Amino acid sequence: MFTLEALILVTVFCGFFGIILKKNQMMKIISMDVMSTGVITFYVLVATSTGFMTPIALPERGVSVDSAIVDSAIVDSAITDYADPVPQAVILTAIVIGFSIQALMLVGVMKLSRDNPTLECSEIERSNT
Amino acid sequence: MMATFTLFWITLPLFVGFGIYLLPKLARVLAVAVSLVSLAYGLWHVVYAEPMAVTLIDSFGVSLLVDQLSGFFVLTNAVVTAAVVLYCWSSGKSTFFYTQAIILHGSVNSVFICADLISVYVALEVIGIAAFLLIAYPRSDRAVWVGLRYLVVSNTAMLFYLLGAALVYQANRSFAFDALTGAPAEAIALIFLGLLSKGGIFVSGLWLPPTHGESESPVSALLSGVVVKTGVFPMVRFALLLPEFDPLVRFFGVATALFGVGFAVFAKDTKRVLAFHTVSQLGFVLAAPAVGGFYALTHGLVKSALFLTVGKLPSRDIKSLKKNPIPTSLWIALAIASFSISGFPLLSGFGAKVLTTKNLLPWQVIGMNIAALGTAISFAKFIFLPHTLSSQDQAKKVPGTGFWLAMAVLLGGLVFANIFYYEAYTLSNTVKPLVTIALGWLMYLLLFQRVSVKIPRVAERFDHLIGAMSLTLTFLFWMVLA
Repeated sequence: MFTLEALILVTVFCGFFGIILKKNQMMKIISMDVMSTGVITFYVLVATSTGFMTPIALPERGVSVDSAIVDSAIVDSAITDYADPVPQAVILTAIVIGFSIQALMLVGVMKLSRDNPTLECSEIERSNT
Repeated sequence: MMATFTLFWITLPLFVGFGIYLLPKLARVLAVAVSLVSLAYGLWHVVYAEPMAVTLIDSFGVSLLVDQLSGFFVLTNAVVTAAVVLYCWSSGKSTFFYTQAIILHGSVNSVFICADLISVYVALEVIGIAAFLLIAYPRSDRAVWVGLRYLVVSNTAMLFYLLGAALVYQANRSFAFDALTGAPAEAIALIFLGLLSKGGIFVSGLWLPPTHGESESPVSALLSGVVVKTGVFPMVRFALLLPEFDPLVRFFGVATALFGVGFAVFAKDTKRVLAFHTVSQLGFVLAAPAVGGFYALTHGLVKSALFLTVGKLPSRDIKSLKKNPIPTSLWIALAIASFSISGFPLLSGFGAKVLTTKNLLPWQVIGMNIAALGTAISFAKFIFLPHTLSSQDQAKKVPGTGFWLAMAVLLGGLVFANIFYYEAYTLSNTVKPLVTIALGWLMYLLLFQRVSVKIPRVAERFDHLIGAMSLTLTFLFWMVLA
């Protein structure tokens, strides 16, 4: 668990330093994607802290939508190893947002590439400020 | 009942925003109508200051909190949006522009009533997208680049924020604002980094001057008037809900007030003076969180009025404006707004300054007084511009009805907002701002008018903006631990 967490943070920082150190605007955007992948994975990791099972209510696992038929004997052992659904639900929204922002940035870069074919960040900055 | 109306009000801009595409002829009317609904909603919460907390669906659902503070921010958003739409009324902007403006309006509103970290995140990201589309609206290379810069900076900041939110959840199994209490220091540092960058506070605010300076005037007015306040609002909320964050927020208030005004005093470009000054004024909102709402209202009205007026001036360079007199009618608008922001009595900027000063802690007073003096100095640049009554060729330069309607709304709002804090008008309260202004003008005429200091713009370069985030993060971490 700890190793995983460390690896995820390494991913985030790889992405972050990519945004700073890469000269090409396109590479910067891809670095940002790496960073956001790291953050998303971190949410998945947080979700597994309670267990790995898919959080879907199933009668054979002792849980049902109709709580009347829950077998209380199984519940104690069964319910606890569900993955936490809340971070997963949350990160789904963030994935969609990240994806749309990514798309928008790529469109912007496409537009810029017409007059700045190298897409070098410092060049674009010099000619536009 | 009120909860139902809140839901209706918060979804209305989104429906109308997309609906505008079906009814392109009504775009402007609908846009103004939406801001009028917000105006009514904001006024209601300012006047009947009954806090209302709602949790939607279930224990992990979206939580909302509406109180007087939200009311003031919503009011700001409503008035500024209405004024900007009126300003653009006959400028031939396409339906797309109004759609984005209204979606921006709606998402800004939702930040002001959200009470959990994830809803704030979603709203801030929607704001980022809508603001990018508005900045890039002219579709010139420069506009696209400025927008892209903004989007990358804001998205990187929001990724840090998201990481912080995950750590908060890990610690307390909740995304609500109160869950920050027991959260680890790194979580708080990450969340504050996101909000500081988004709100343009202190060093993290260096992206703001180029962005606000290079955008079109109506977009600058929206960005400076309301959009940056969405980064500031959650911090004000933290400081009020959770007393342990109060010192941190107040510290950043003073730091950014001095930082921004230091740049504004030396800037030679009108739009950059205004943008740096926004960085400084947000400090006044943070310095006294309890009364930040009223300050945000007056600042939002003034700053958008100034951006709209400056956009109509023949030049952006103060030196060349000094040589060619501007039309007196424009100068009057400029002067009223400058007087308000300097804290001159009769305009509500005065009441806001008095109220903020009363709520400062002793260690903040010196810093904020220097910032107020700096404000007076930087706006003396506008007040002392030469002007003439319109002669033949000047008449062409005077803008049309839309501009004056927008000014009437914004400047009228400034006078009207006095009623929220009419207690400010006592003799002892009045003397201090007058002395500050007199001193500021004196310093401007004798000293600052003559010196010419060029502050290098190297820190505003894209790579440095992102790099500064890592420094800010380290600094924040150290501050939270302390």
